[in-house]
Amino acid sequence: MAEGNESWKNKDDQEEDEEDVDETAYTTQKDAVLFAIEVSESMLAPPPHSDSKKSETDSATAAAIKCAYQIMQQRIISHPKDKMGVLLFGTEKSKFEERDDNDNGNVTYPHCYLLTDLTVPSAADVKALKAIVEDEDEAQSLLKPSEEPVDMPNLLFCANQIFTRGAPDFASRRLFIITDKDDPHSANKALRSSATVRAKDLYDLGVTIELFPISHPDHKFDRTKFYDDIIYRDPADDGGDLATAPRDFKSAGGDGISLLNDLISDINSKQFTKRALFSNMKFEIGPEFQISVKGYNLLQPAKPAKQDWVYQGGETNQIVKPESARLNDDDTKPVEKDEIKKAYKFGGTQILFTSEEQEKLRSFGKPGIRIIGFKPQSMLPFWASVKKSTFIYPSEEGFVGSSRVFSALWQKLVKNKIMGLAWFIARQNSSPTIVAILPSEERLSENTGLQLNPAGLWLYPLPFADDIREAPDQLTQVFSPDNLTNEMRTVIKQLQLPKGIYDPSKYPNPSLQWHYKILQAIALEEDIPETPEDKTVPKYRQVEKRAGEYIHNWGQLLEEATNVYRKEHGSGAKHERADSDGPVKKKVKTEGLDNVGDDELKKIISTGKLAKHTVAELKDLLAAKGLSNSGRKPDLIERIEQWADEN
Amino acid sequence: MADKEANIYIVDVGASTAECHNGRIESDLEYGMKYVWEKIGLALQANRKGLGLGVIALRHDETKVDLEDVEGYENIAVLKDLGPIEMSHLKDLQKKIVPSSTDFGDALSAMILAVHMIENFTQLKTGKPGKYKQKRVVLVTNGQGPMDGNDLDSLAEKVNELEIELIVVGIDFDDLEYGFKEEDKPSNKRRNEKVLKVLVESCKGGKFATMAEVLESFAEPEVKVPRPYCNYRGRLSLGDYNKYADTAAYIDVVRYFKTHQARPPGASSFVNKTSVSNGEASGQDTEMTDAPDLSAVKNSTTYKIFDPSAPGGKRDINREELSKAYCYGSTAVPISASEENVTKLETVQSFEIIGFIHNDKYDRYLNMGECNITVAQNVNDKAKMALSSLIHALHELDSYAVARIVTKDGKDPQLLVMAPSFENGVEALLDVPLPFAEDVRTHSFPPLDRVITISGATMKKHRNLPNEDLVKSMSDYVDSMDLSTFGTDENGQPTEYMTIEETYMPGLHRINQAIRTRAVQPDKPIEDPPEVLVKWSHPPSELAKKSAPKLQKLVEAADVKKVADKVRGKRTRDQIKPLSGLDVNSLLNSQKPRAARKITMANSIPDFKQLLEATVSSSEILELVTQMAEVIYKMVANTLTDGSFDIVTANMRVLRSQMMDLEMPEIYNDFIRAFKQKLIAGELFENNFASNERELWFRVKSKRLGLIDKEVSEHSDISKEEAAQFYVLSTELPSRAK
Repeated sequence: MAEGNESWKNKDDQEEDEEDVDETAYTTQKDAVLFAIEVSESMLAPPPHSDSKKSETDSATAAAIKCAYQIMQQRIISHPKDKMGVLLFGTEKSKFEERDDNDNGNVTYPHCYLLTDLTVPSAADVKALKAIVEDEDEAQSLLKPSEEPVDMPNLLFCANQIFTRGAPDFASRRLFIITDKDDPHSANKALRSSATVRAKDLYDLGVTIELFPISHPDHKFDRTKFYDDIIYRDPADDGGDLATAPRDFKSAGGDGISLLNDLISDINSKQFTKRALFSNMKFEIGPEFQISVKGYNLLQPAKPAKQDWVYQGGETNQIVKPESARLNDDDTKPVEKDEIKKAYKFGGTQILFTSEEQEKLRSFGKPGIRIIGFKPQSMLPFWASVKKSTFIYPSEEGFVGSSRVFSALWQKLVKNKIMGLAWFIARQNSSPTIVAILPSEERLSENTGLQLNPAGLWLYPLPFADDIREAPDQLTQVFSPDNLTNEMRTVIKQLQLPKGIYDPSKYPNPSLQWHYKILQAIALEEDIPETPEDKTVPKYRQVEKRAGEYIHNWGQLLEEATNVYRKEHGSGAKHERADSDGPVKKKVKTEGLDNVGDDELKKIISTGKLAKHTVAELKDLLAAKGLSNSGRKPDLIERIEQWADEN
Repeated sequence: MADKEANIYIVDVGASTAECHNGRIESDLEYGMKYVWEKIGLALQANRKGLGLGVIALRHDETKVDLEDVEGYENIAVLKDLGPIEMSHLKDLQKKIVPSSTDFGDALSAMILAVHMIENFTQLKTGKPGKYKQKRVVLVTNGQGPMDGNDLDSLAEKVNELEIELIVVGIDFDDLEYGFKEEDKPSNKRRNEKVLKVLVESCKGGKFATMAEVLESFAEPEVKVPRPYCNYRGRLSLGDYNKYADTAAYIDVVRYFKTHQARPPGASSFVNKTSVSNGEASGQDTEMTDAPDLSAVKNSTTYKIFDPSAPGGKRDINREELSKAYCYGSTAVPISASEENVTKLETVQSFEIIGFIHNDKYDRYLNMGECNITVAQNVNDKAKMALSSLIHALHELDSYAVARIVTKDGKDPQLLVMAPSFENGVEALLDVPLPFAEDVRTHSFPPLDRVITISGATMKKHRNLPNEDLVKSMSDYVDSMDLSTFGTDENGQPTEYMTIEETYMPGLHRINQAIRTRAVQPDKPIEDPPEVLVKWSHPPSELAKKSAPKLQKLVEAADVKKVADKVRGKRTRDQIKPLSGLDVNSLLNSQKPRAARKITMANSIPDFKQLLEATVSSSEILELVTQMAEVIYKMVANTLTDGSFDIVTANMRVLRSQMMDLEMPEIYNDFIRAFKQKLIAGELFENNFASNERELWFRVKSKRLGLIDKEVSEHSDISKEEAAQFYVLSTELPSRAK
């Protein structure tokens, strides 16, 4: 019943409650990444031999393809709508899109081999990549470097065309170039300038180039030789990738990290563009004193993609997108959006507002973050949590000097463990919230030096009085004696998580992983795995090994302490009853009927106490006696009484 | 199941209530009814069956009482029997509650009647009293009627016996605590006030208040307190107690919501019943209706598949012919009905501690949602003691627990961070959900205390970093705006300002209040949000005033300059250079003279942008736009029947934004008008399908590629309304072929 109460939300109401999402936000949601992996003698050379056990076995190209393969599988899970492609360049073979376009005929770009077209990856794409990763022969035949030197303008224009056709109107498009050649056209000035022009084309098209340079033991990659001429940074991006100094990757692997893992972690940190949730947002530090900030959604619960409908009647499976139309319930005629009026249910009727009135009711002023004041962070109660926070970072787009002011504020909040409190309106007409402004400090990975946690401020939504739920009644408190608490302390000390922190990256979502693992197996026609890997399940053996003994002690102490307590206070149940003439007027607690002997039962009946038991208890009893347990309470009681008479 | 209530409002409608007093321009009755209507509105809004409400009119022209002997009950009329209230009752009451032409009718008799009604109403069939959360009689009066004060004791006795709250709200009654005293009070009113006060004081739950105070208290929104909701009842375990019975442990616990986001009521969609004149605003929307001329809007879902042989290339299909599927990338993986749960992780109800962390190493901003509270199960001393030891140990070690919960068999596991709590003397564990690996997006941002240049050098001094002066003045300003002791408690001591308990959700209360107001006063226009809802929208003015000098210093040290609107966009255009700073544009122009270059289909966007940068005259711009338009039309024509229009819209978007940057919105507006014209005339496609055209226009509309209006570009002469209207394509196209 209680559950019904909670989930009792009219479905219609909920779906009507959507705030008008700006459609432009929709286009910015999509991202397309094209891997361009160079195939050359040096890229294919096996890594130099090393004595280390973890020594590298993959060539740079092989590592890059493996990396693409893994990233592809990840993206299917984390960003199922985004596109990805893999292009090899410098290959002997050439291959471009297989579409039969009327005007372009069979265009190919020499020595560019489009391994995976830029699309939302399909199972077949994953399979194809997998084949190259796992099948030596397959790889050998493909990964044959061309005799001719690489032609960058050709590559860049090829990429241009892939983006133009494959991902038009995508707000975020990136070309990841993985190469070890830092000066491809040292001898050919014309090609070099042509490459810079083609790079400018890409920039104008809205494609960003990310370089993943590979250094060999005898050759350090030098960006200034060529790549600084073709890579652009949007000045509006506020430094973006300057966060950490540019890195290069060592084919020999060093520091115990393989090139593959190094590449994966770096690409992972770059593979999704920063999608600003809002930009040029006014951040009012004090009356009439504003700076501008951008907001980012750095936390977002990942969920399996929704179920689709598929039509299997044709030659190939066709995904069918439901089209919904709004119809007048009376005459089932389609309804135009501007005819629709919104009404609220009220006392059995509808209360109407015009859309202008609706808008006015929703309006509490312009979007912005306005500081009301400051409090120590310790004044933020643990329970004051309702939804995820939004990360904000300064931007100079509205006010020059925002960054330094923001930095000064951040430094102060970090230093004195203070939080700001602010009135926050996220979008036009969105309801205001009150947020705590919490500072975060930068944290870098010990292994790779990559940033794990950025420095900045978080808008932490606070609950309103309306969001606070009443706690359940606690009848009596029983306090733990010191020796019991001490034993538990030992247990806690024994069971610290590594470094005493919660590291989210160690805990993939088991439901999500399982969902995609099964899907992947079905889609790739592989064997369906039987047991899921669930890293969120406690490590029982470790618990046993590290703390079993102490838990055992604790259990015994608990037993003793409880006995002592019961002697002092009488047995638990009785105690409750004795105590219950206070505010607690809950139903008189009855012992269940399952352990009641026949004589006792007769006694209960004769004293008329049977009626005090719950229907559930009565039913259990009847079931235990092998009698029908259907009917209303009086029927149940009658049946029990009858049984008692007969036995 | 919700808690039941029985409330009766006795409204004094005597002739004297038509008068206005104490400088008010509304009558006493109108003044008093503000309170009653609000209460009725709240009851209607709660929309609960168990919420009984009755209304009795006192000093009414008629006598309408359901008693055999009406003697002593003259001029008392039951306008609404005790029971659930609906909108129709409100309408009825609004008609009936008007000042009468009599001053007869005894308030005490009305109260006796009300008590009698409550007694009957709350009695169970068995004759025993039913369980009620609240039984209440409220008298609203101006205190000027005759009153027989003889039988106060027996009334009070009955009120106490039935545990009824007796509340008297008097118009202009004296209330020294509140600080109100009416001068020149008529003597009968003074006497009545005294009688009523004596009565109220002899009742346990009695309250005596003056109307002004009550109305003032309405400013404070009413917070709905739902019952505690238990979402987990079972074991909180440490280790695997099934496998290691001796060395693992569990505690019987229950877990409840501690915070749960309240939501504003949702609105449903309606249309006018007789769809008059294609959707023109009829101008009567503001009218509150009983909805006879409205009909509901329902969603209907259709499924279409591509079928080259069907008109329009698509055909409708029944849902029965489809099967469910999940997408793996772009591959649909059909899932047959029998194995529907194949991708679902099997889970069993459980609540397990994974390990422990230091509380100062947990970043609060990682919280993913609402808080829950876990306590030991009642009537279980052992569990209570066990949980107590865990709570105390966590507290003493400054630690949190990390746990995994599956609230019910089959539900997805969730990770939680759990903290000890001793609030209000209750020992409990509080928990909030943690993010999984997939939920955290790692993006790198430059550090805030140093600047790293492209070459990798670190700088501590930079225009983006604060100098000492700025750091100092920011620190002073922040300290001056401290709220931790800015509030005042009951004893006048400094206390925390703006506690969570004092903040009300503005969106929720505003809409609820507007609905109530509209129900009672349909003609009243929407008002600005009440003060209490925007109280926290600004720093407290007193504090802001005090810290103004510090702010002044901060402003000076910060030296922030607003970016002039016009410079935006243009400024970045000049800076487009690769990292090395190479001047690609001149390289480009040196390769081929501008005039010889044309926009190519394959490379249209870069071509257009680059050529545009090199233009000097507006005729050149116009010429380029014409070229671009041709490209766009050709792209439309080339689009396959089942193809997407993304290439088209991408090019249109570039055209649109470039014209906005150049502050020449009219050029784009001319283009898009012509575009729409061609679309309607059917000139865009070679093989003409209405669905294709609608589809294309839908894309244009959803990607906001229509007219550039004034709000977006100040150089436009198109109004927002005109731009919105432009998207409408209603009757101009033949409807979609079925």
